Amino acid sequence: MQPIVLGVIAGSIYALVAAGVALVYKATRVLNFAQAEVGTLSLYATWWISTRHHQPWVVGAAASIVVATLIGLLFERFIIRSMLTASRVTVSVATIGLFSLMVAVELALFAGTVYLVPPPLARGGVTIAGVYVNASQWLALGVVLAVAAALAAFLRFTDFGLAVQASADDPVAAQLMGAPRARISAFTWGMAGALSAVAVLLIEPTVGVLAPGAFAGLFIGGLTAALVGGLDSLPGAFVGGLVVGVAEAEVKAHVTIHAIPSFQTAAMLIIVLAVLLLRPRGILGQHA
Amino acid sequence: MTGIGTAAPVVLLRAEGIRAGFGSQPVLHGVDLDVPDGEVTGIFGLNGAGKSVFLKVLAGVVPTWRGRVELCGDDITGLSPEQRVARGMAHVPQGRQVFPSLSVEQNLRIGAYTLRRRNRAAYAGNLERVFATFPRLAERRSQPAGTLSGGEQAMLAVGRALINDPRVVLIDEPSAGLSPALVEDLLDTLLEVRATGLAMLLVEQNIRFGLRLADHACLLQKGRVVYSGATATLDQDRLASYLGVGRLLSLDLRRGLTERRPEAL
Amino acid sequence: MVRLHNVMTAALLFVALPLLTEHAMPRLVRPHGYLNLDVGIALAVAALSLNLLLGYAGQISLGHAGLLAIGAFASGIVTSRWHGPMALGLVLAMVVSGGLAFLVGLPALRLRGLYLAIVTVVFGLVMQYSVLRSTVFSGGSAGVALPRRVWGGRVFTDNTVYLVVSLLLLLAVWVVDDNVVRSRVGRAFRVIRENEAVAQSFGIAVTRYKLLAFVVSGAMAGLAGAMYGHAIGFVNNESPFNFNLSLQLVIIVIIGGLGRRAAVVVAALVFWVLPSFISGLHAWAYIAGALGLMVTVSRHPDGIADLLRRERPPSFDDDAVEDDSLPALPDLPVPDRPGALTTPAGQPLLEVHEVSVSFGGLRAVDAVSLTVPAGRITGLIGPNGAGKSTLFNAISGLVTTTRGHVRYRGEQIQDLRADQRARLGIARSFQQVGLAKDLSVRENFLLAQHQVAGYGDLAAIAMTPTVARVERELAERADQAIESLGLVHLSGLPVRNLSGGQQRIVEIACLLVTAPELVMLDEPSAGMAPAAAESLAGRLRELRDTLGRTVLIIEHNVPLMLDVCDYLYVLDAGQLIAEGPPEAIAANERVIDAYFGTALPA
Repeated sequence: MQPIVLGVIAGSIYALVAAGVALVYKATRVLNFAQAEVGTLSLYATWWISTRHHQPWVVGAAASIVVATLIGLLFERFIIRSMLTASRVTVSVATIGLFSLMVAVELALFAGTVYLVPPPLARGGVTIAGVYVNASQWLALGVVLAVAAALAAFLRFTDFGLAVQASADDPVAAQLMGAPRARISAFTWGMAGALSAVAVLLIEPTVGVLAPGAFAGLFIGGLTAALVGGLDSLPGAFVGGLVVGVAEAEVKAHVTIHAIPSFQTAAMLIIVLAVLLLRPRGILGQHA
Repeated sequence: MTGIGTAAPVVLLRAEGIRAGFGSQPVLHGVDLDVPDGEVTGIFGLNGAGKSVFLKVLAGVVPTWRGRVELCGDDITGLSPEQRVARGMAHVPQGRQVFPSLSVEQNLRIGAYTLRRRNRAAYAGNLERVFATFPRLAERRSQPAGTLSGGEQAMLAVGRALINDPRVVLIDEPSAGLSPALVEDLLDTLLEVRATGLAMLLVEQNIRFGLRLADHACLLQKGRVVYSGATATLDQDRLASYLGVGRLLSLDLRRGLTERRPEAL
Repeated sequence: MVRLHNVMTAALLFVALPLLTEHAMPRLVRPHGYLNLDVGIALAVAALSLNLLLGYAGQISLGHAGLLAIGAFASGIVTSRWHGPMALGLVLAMVVSGGLAFLVGLPALRLRGLYLAIVTVVFGLVMQYSVLRSTVFSGGSAGVALPRRVWGGRVFTDNTVYLVVSLLLLLAVWVVDDNVVRSRVGRAFRVIRENEAVAQSFGIAVTRYKLLAFVVSGAMAGLAGAMYGHAIGFVNNESPFNFNLSLQLVIIVIIGGLGRRAAVVVAALVFWVLPSFISGLHAWAYIAGALGLMVTVSRHPDGIADLLRRERPPSFDDDAVEDDSLPALPDLPVPDRPGALTTPAGQPLLEVHEVSVSFGGLRAVDAVSLTVPAGRITGLIGPNGAGKSTLFNAISGLVTTTRGHVRYRGEQIQDLRADQRARLGIARSFQQVGLAKDLSVRENFLLAQHQVAGYGDLAAIAMTPTVARVERELAERADQAIESLGLVHLSGLPVRNLSGGQQRIVEIACLLVTAPELVMLDEPSAGMAPAAAESLAGRLRELRDTLGRTVLIIEHNVPLMLDVCDYLYVLDAGQLIAEGPPEAIAANERVIDAYFGTALPA
């Protein structure tokens, strides 16, 4: 039972990363390789405000989200917007550049020391059926549900949200209906940045430290969740997240191969291969 | 509606000296066109003549290398497509391009995007009017547009253009891919729209269809205007030779044109 | 085996220069500076390996570090656990990495672009997290030692000697790379990168060449990894064969300019060697690299070294810049096609029987039958969207038929791949001009002779005397063709710089260079200015009368077709609605209806 509960929680955070991937992919058919790393770099803003300057966690978290959103907007403004006619593979390579830039800055400014970020909620926890779930993990679950609901409501009930959906179906036709293409593009990438920051903030208590490469698991989990659920499906992102989270937890708990440490990582990657070869469009995706 | 004795129609949309193309490949070599208010202007020509490119230039999707575009007297040459839509341009794109994952009502709502920004209250009334014109769409209002039949999608595309209270509608090859019966339905629909006095610019490959609808005809050949004038006074031999299909066409047009709208003769 | 002037240049650059400065170097280079150079050179080899795969063949790999890793460990196991010589270790490294790359390449055959990228990421991560950390391989943090064993107990530790060894290995890789580029293998890679359909139409088996690219690239990467390992002396689970390294290699290759060998090597050395002389610069080099990648990709998708290529500026006075009429087609002495039969004129060369092609629920071609007699010009016309191009693709093999069969010279071919059909003598043109537009006119003529280049691909990599001789013959034939077309002054220019008419005539001439029996032309007048299009009729008649080819042609220019064709087929909405000689077609009511819209009741 324990693995399932923990898997659900970890999976919900993977789902958040996958949602960012799906948002970008749906709109642009581009795979955002930096979906986890933008939030990782932004987390240093939280460290600076909450650990170094002892401000409340909420303030630090807000700073991280702002920084990440800004990175997304800048990337869109200066890189994406000059690549309107480039192929989607080329644009995906640009996101690899963004990923590398995030890592490179982390290595340049923050390598060598281990940084700590305070958890959102220090105390508290509940034990259900023998499984202890601490307050931060509850918060994670709650936030993910809230974000999912907010995103769904925004897309469904607002005119701009409708324009985003239409643009995802057909960007030129959406323009011909009056949808503001530039603003939709900015929203897509800015939102991707924000989602990245939230995901990293939520998983940080589990990871424990803030160091370059500490969130590689988030990257791998998020990418796998996006592929499993379907790269162009937002609901798929959440389904994929759950599947991957639970699978990872189960493997970690029950499968140990001495020759291969952290086999659950290999297991996730095997899942990716299987999806790519057998059903590239994932569970809920529509296009391969 | 034009009748005998009315003043010369106002020019709603004007293109002057348009040169444009893809990459370094020129397609339009200086095209001039006036679209008068209240009438239907048709652009005809063979494949590769540049008809669709011209429409895309007017829409703002393809940039002009030279020349200007005016809407209601204002220079819109540098404006983005969505800005042109906000000023009264509407589109029925090539292939209809309804949004397949959105419902019929959502498609209409996105068509009214700029309307809702300038006058939200008007949306409900416009929506009802579109549903009154196209009862089949009303029946299917919650269905995803991707599940509609070809003819229904064509209706939706037209409704989506009309709902925004436009000044001029640009229609790109509306009969393409439709069966003869549906083409007939579409023609009736567009004749109804024409009767409301809305200016339309139509690009068509199906010449018979186009000539039934258009008040003015403009022939494009290899990116140049080779003829422009009222369809009623169209010189059939000239049309035949300009379209470049000589023997094939002359036979047909002599028959076809005499079947046109009786009221114009 | 190796061109003399190449060896001289490379020798000068890579061996003499450093040796000459060896006296200066100890003053410039701190004691461990040699190590940095050795590592830098190893990574330059790695960059060359990725350049071959990504720059030439266009296959994206984001997990190349994994191939380096396996090479390092393989050589380590040979030299430290089996006590074999380093030479053997390097060879085994290449074999193992090449084999592993083959396995990684297999998904490449089914997956395109983005999905292939993901597979390579997965491969790299699996290597990084699971395989290399496993105790079986790496012995945990103790790792595997890589002594520079010459033989038995003799091990050399002198870094200067190793520097020379490294440079020689770099030179060897450079030469192999050069051989690849100058042979049909390299040309095949580059056209595959640009357009696989065009590659197939030249008779190139795309699958095979993609795998070959992976294997050769993998072998080079394995060598690089082993060089790295022997430079440092050991590798363990902390070694930098990780995702970041894979990405840094991608950065180097893209910034260097995809395909530009020298720029890639220079970029690699700058990226890895230069920062080691200034402490703390590595991290900033990485930042610069990442920014450079984003800028390069957004401004110059083909790398900053490619600034030479400019888009032809739009000519406003295009009334003045019209195509001249098309030059006459070259009558070339073509090589004998082994097994080529000549079908007597008038006999059916191609038979299409009840062919249907469906995409999802849409039937694009519906039970169409037609016959193309040898030595005649057969035309296929019809309004837009009638299915003509789809039918063409079904005949040439780019699209599979849902039903019906296609017979060529009496044999059924509908189960053959496009490149196999091309090798049988079916040549086809493309609406958008089926040439490798980034390659020069001359290179395209060489490329077009791919299937008659009489040497194997492995021989090409070694550049045997046979290869060199055949290449000379191909070059002669290419130059002859270019001269007879009157395009000598354009011979070295990339095809995309030519006018529409010039591109088209080059394309048709390239098709003819392998003496095909059936020439299929897909809207040849597309993109031509009026004057050139008018002379097309003359060129088509030349094809039939002077050169004795069989022609199947799709065109929108109906008067041209009525003028030139011996027989016409008319398609509408996927179905055959009429066939016959031009006079009959011109008077056919159904044809008129098809073109000008269905009859509407008054």
